[in-house]
Amino acid sequence: MTAKRIGWGAVVLGFLAFFVAVPPLTVRSPIVVIVIAVAAMAAGSYAITAGEKRLGWGGIIAGMIGLVGGYAATQSGVANLERVVVWGALGAATLRYATPLIFGAVGGLFSERAGVINIGLEGMMLMGAFFGAWGADVTSSWLLGIVIAIAAGAVFGAIHALFAVSFRADQIVSGTALNLLAVGVTGYLFVEVYGDLGTPDDLPSVPNVSLPIDWLPLLGDIFGDLNLLVWLALAAVLMTWVFMFRTSWGLRLRSAGENPLAAETAGLNVVRTRYLAVMASGGLAAMGGAFLSIGFLHTFTQNMTAGRGFIALAALIFGRWRPGLALAATLLFGFGSALAQRLPVFSPSGAVLFQALPYVLTLIAVTGLIGRSIPPLALGRPLPRN
Amino acid sequence: MADAPALELRGITKRFGTLVANNAVDFELRRGEIHALLGENGAGKSTLMNVLYGLHQPDEGQILLDGQPVTIDSPRRAIGLGIGMVHQHFMLVPVMTVAENLVLGAEPRSGPLLDYKTATRRVRELSSEYGLAVDPDAKVEDIGVGTQQRVEILRALFRGAKVLVLDEPTAVLTAQEAQDLFKVLRTLTAAGTSVVFISHKLNEVLDIADRVTVLRRGEKVDTVSTEGATERSLAGLMVGRDVLLRVEKTEQKLGEPLLELEGVSAVDDRGLPAVNDVTLRVRAGEIVGLAGVDANGQSELIETIMGLRAPTAGTITAAGVDVTHAGPRETLNAGVSHIAEDRHRRGLVLEFDLAENLCLREYKTPAFSSRGFLSPSKMVARARTLLKEFDVRGGDPETRAGSLSGGNQQKVVIARELTADPKVIIAAQPTRGLDVGAIEFVHRRLVEERDAGKGVLLVSLELEEIRSLSDRVLVIYEGRIVAELPPESSEEDFGVYMTGGGRDERAA
Repeated sequence: MTAKRIGWGAVVLGFLAFFVAVPPLTVRSPIVVIVIAVAAMAAGSYAITAGEKRLGWGGIIAGMIGLVGGYAATQSGVANLERVVVWGALGAATLRYATPLIFGAVGGLFSERAGVINIGLEGMMLMGAFFGAWGADVTSSWLLGIVIAIAAGAVFGAIHALFAVSFRADQIVSGTALNLLAVGVTGYLFVEVYGDLGTPDDLPSVPNVSLPIDWLPLLGDIFGDLNLLVWLALAAVLMTWVFMFRTSWGLRLRSAGENPLAAETAGLNVVRTRYLAVMASGGLAAMGGAFLSIGFLHTFTQNMTAGRGFIALAALIFGRWRPGLALAATLLFGFGSALAQRLPVFSPSGAVLFQALPYVLTLIAVTGLIGRSIPPLALGRPLPRN
Repeated sequence: MADAPALELRGITKRFGTLVANNAVDFELRRGEIHALLGENGAGKSTLMNVLYGLHQPDEGQILLDGQPVTIDSPRRAIGLGIGMVHQHFMLVPVMTVAENLVLGAEPRSGPLLDYKTATRRVRELSSEYGLAVDPDAKVEDIGVGTQQRVEILRALFRGAKVLVLDEPTAVLTAQEAQDLFKVLRTLTAAGTSVVFISHKLNEVLDIADRVTVLRRGEKVDTVSTEGATERSLAGLMVGRDVLLRVEKTEQKLGEPLLELEGVSAVDDRGLPAVNDVTLRVRAGEIVGLAGVDANGQSELIETIMGLRAPTAGTITAAGVDVTHAGPRETLNAGVSHIAEDRHRRGLVLEFDLAENLCLREYKTPAFSSRGFLSPSKMVARARTLLKEFDVRGGDPETRAGSLSGGNQQKVVIARELTADPKVIIAAQPTRGLDVGAIEFVHRRLVEERDAGKGVLLVSLELEEIRSLSDRVLVIYEGRIVAELPPESSEEDFGVYMTGGGRDERAA
């Protein structure tokens, strides 16, 4: 057995320690949890001494999470547990919570792979949320609402590109300014258009897709009745991967983010590439916002994105700027949110603590504890002047 | 127009603000020739070629390709016209494969997708056609600089280059790789490609080029055939006066020991032994050369002397002060100056302006500050004097150090280190990457310091430099001093010790 396998074994054992204590297994003895968790940590330590440091630490952390979570589960009532841990509902909720994050992360991927830091995702998402709702309202069509949201996000992206690419401003400052601007613009327009009443109750909303798979045990519950935008988000991940790594446009976009001078020397127009990438970024993030307003909550409220753009960016970094890994990160964060929503049965304060999970995991990711997160080489650097 | 030259530049003028980088430069490239563009650092060679490649727009002048006037407003246009460029700093994307880099900008497609198979096949075809071996699936970050350069050349050929511009192509190559490159260039010209070869190395220009155009301070001096030209004649054209390729030294007046190392050992960054039991002594009024092949402990030895690396054994004394465990500041204060091996990393703060860089060593003294506050006016005034004294061109005190050419950056480092009136000077590869004019300047200053009774430890990979400057030469191999030779010894003698030979005789 290689150290690598033992390291992975440690990670799996760590999660198993938690898994055995919740439905459907619902092992009631804390001893079992403790034994499995300790085994996970032991395997992790062994992997570290055998040279697999990162994976080993991952195993130890998983073991500790499993120990705490599993032990807590054994100490709660079975009825409570069965109310919280309903895997089908949790799975569907995970996808729902992950959807704005997926759109945001995939959007961020376009911008950052082209070399432009996009901390303005939050603002672009918020623009999408408002203009999706407003567009759907005035056109009475959820489809046109989405289109208008995408346009609004792309315009915001173009503004970011104008400052970050053309004026060579600091990209973090530019993105932060856009976030503040978005709060102001959407807040002003919201009050101006809808006043105290809020968005109308008959706001057109994006339909759910009902699949005839009710009879499937777990999958039926998770995938049977999801919003159209959830499916679009998953499709966006796949399409982004194909675009980025299997087409010549993707190659060009990535070259602009890795070595813009090389791209320019090869006869490419880096400025145009970056503009388009940041605008695409804005459009995608805006779809995430539109999901919030006309796909999920069926209303717009001020500053309703509430930091989801930042979490999407965190997922992108945690996912090492790769579509598949970023998706996994958003699902993990989404699962955290889904669990947090159900946890108040036990402890309201614990549920709030769960919301910090994405940031903690991102910190772990950027410090290189579990695999190093290496950004595109020219990320944040404008094209050198001749 | 079959007899028209492949490329002709007529009266190209390019200004950057008040600086005239190119002044009415004419240049003619015949079909199938290798034409060298020779000049000191900052003479305007790269600017001229960037004009040709569409990276700069000329203020005046005309470009003709095959006798037809053309406008080149972007690299894309230049590539379309059959001009390929291999830059000094390679323009490749490190995380991508050779094939991806090669086709970037003109990718083969199947439907909307990138046709990677065709890309690798084209790489293989070109690679065997021109005898430039590369692995299309290797990532650029994993291959050596010689191979990276081949990728750049292949890329230009892939885009259909008829005129190939190489900007100081040998700067990063070993001697063997350079010879390989020359072979490739000859193959290319035989097949009808025309080559512009930018360089400031006289010997290789004579070796490879058919004709040479010499630039000096942005102006064309002359175009000559390499037949009948000598290093001396080219150097004269380049610098504008006769150049002393050999150093004149006065008779030696030896004084007391200024730098003494006794049994010094140190480990490298990985914790492996790098310096082993080194004992050496530099006396006032002598230049001691340290010869050796790269990476035989020279860098670690210098760092140990300068207090940048802690010795694991031995003692170091500078001008009578024990600096064995001193930090860099104490070592400097003991009277040691350090012309650092890597001027970008250790010698200068590239983002600082020249006035700031020039006071990095003595910023605390009343010359630059009072009561803990820097005095910008004093800094600028002092910088102005030094820039003039050390003939630093292309910058005033407010210029960012990073924007100077290599030779002038080195002059700034030397100005700072020598005006501190040191007793000992550690000169590590002081002329790396410099042109003949600047090399002559650096050599003269070092000899002047020796004549003024300073002790100089000269570490260099250029054996010629060591032999012409030093009074005695030590040879370092695998972190040990393996021989002491008089500088007149033959290159072969040095070569034996530098490569680890001759040790058995010594032990016997």
